[in-house]
Amino acid sequence: MALKEEVLNQIAGTLDVSAGELKEDQKLYDSVGVDSTEMVELTVSLSKHFGVAFESNEITKNSTPLEITAVIEKKKQG
Amino acid sequence: MNDRVAITGLGVVSPCGLKKETFWANLKRGESFVDNIDRFDSAGYPSHIAGQVHELDHYSHLSSRLVKKIDVFSHMALVASEQALKDSNIDLDKVDKDRVGVFTGNALGGWLFAETELRDLYLEGKEGVSPYMASAWFPAAPQGQITIYYGFKGYSKTVVSDRASSALAIWYGAKTVSEGKNDFVLAGGMEAPITPYSLLCANSSGNLSKNNLNYKKAYRPYDLSRDGFVLGEGAGITVLEKESSARKRGSDIYGFIKGIGFTSDGYHYARYSPNPDSLEQAIKGCLKDAGWDKGEVDYICLDGEATVMGDYLETLALKNVFGKNLDKIALSAPKSMFGNLLGAQTALDLTATLLSMKHSIVLPTINYENKDPYCGLDYTPNKAVEKEINKALIIARGRGGINIVLAVEGDSPLF
Repeated sequence: MALKEEVLNQIAGTLDVSAGELKEDQKLYDSVGVDSTEMVELTVSLSKHFGVAFESNEITKNSTPLEITAVIEKKKQG
Repeated sequence: MNDRVAITGLGVVSPCGLKKETFWANLKRGESFVDNIDRFDSAGYPSHIAGQVHELDHYSHLSSRLVKKIDVFSHMALVASEQALKDSNIDLDKVDKDRVGVFTGNALGGWLFAETELRDLYLEGKEGVSPYMASAWFPAAPQGQITIYYGFKGYSKTVVSDRASSALAIWYGAKTVSEGKNDFVLAGGMEAPITPYSLLCANSSGNLSKNNLNYKKAYRPYDLSRDGFVLGEGAGITVLEKESSARKRGSDIYGFIKGIGFTSDGYHYARYSPNPDSLEQAIKGCLKDAGWDKGEVDYICLDGEATVMGDYLETLALKNVFGKNLDKIALSAPKSMFGNLLGAQTALDLTATLLSMKHSIVLPTINYENKDPYCGLDYTPNKAVEKEINKALIIARGRGGINIVLAVEGDSPLF
């Protein structure tokens, strides 16, 4: 599975939204109304799933799934 | 004109029904809804029986996205709130939500959520703890969730006062209506104490019945062989508004909140005072606040703790206050059928009392088989009886010596 799809699935699963509600180039706040606590949950979930550590505010509710994918890809490449 | 505080909507989540019609139909039958606790391994607990809510998900319209963030006591509160609002026929698109408040009472908070996260903390470290823990556990969580869900922004509060929590919440909510601080109030209580840790704490109080083998008969207030109460879980929510508002809307009115008596024993952090003076003062204070003579009371919904001393002291207080008038006052503890919901106790007692008024039926105290000479009143044993009820008292006592008595009157042309 491509990284982008894997990120979308992980976001949808963590936030308990359908994959169809997410738009890869739309801010999470605008697409699914993510709140700050959900972002904490999502950050931990993505960190555990992809084995990466995020800096504070590296991904936020104003991030798009594409932007999040890019951050994860860069971290995985070291 | 005295613009009374009317109750115009009822919502209930209980071991004997998840809507008011089922709740009432089952209570009238005079049967026990107490069972063995089987949702976790409770066999090692001295008392492992309770009145449990079944099929909550079936009655819930909440998204899974919300449900995973809240404890079950908030979930039950939201289900009951939806019912109460629908029952009241309030048009939420037309109300001023800045003037709708929420007043809730519960004793313990959301322990199922909390216990799970504490376990994960010790097993996985801080990373294992849900970010929703802080907002899921605390006792005011249901108040918060109800206001968020509906967008209510009026004066709201949560009361924690053991088994008297929802009694006070309902009273304070009614006061904000009568004083013009809110137009509508959702008031009631919720409690979800059937969790490994909560059950442990309740057992350590020594006040739970250990009659596990004969669990249908375990909760037997005022009976000679009583050995404590049985836990219950659930939620009760009422909608409160001024009588003038209810009449203008053409709303059905279940009754009115008329008065309160409120005292403290000032004796011990866990035991009642051996002298029922403070409870007597609470009863008298309530009658005075309601403007009632003691001969006017038709029914008293009792605290019914089913401990040896608790029932004796409550009975003694009634005898001392009412004397011969007790011959004409119906008494009962319907909670004997579904358990003691701790902080939500009065929310369900009020619902049961209002439905009793509506149907002119006194609900029974079940499992009353052996007369205790130190109690010995007519507690409406085992079967419901017909009686017109216009003026009722509801008694709630909390650990540490909290005594609350509420006065409720029916919607009758006489009043």
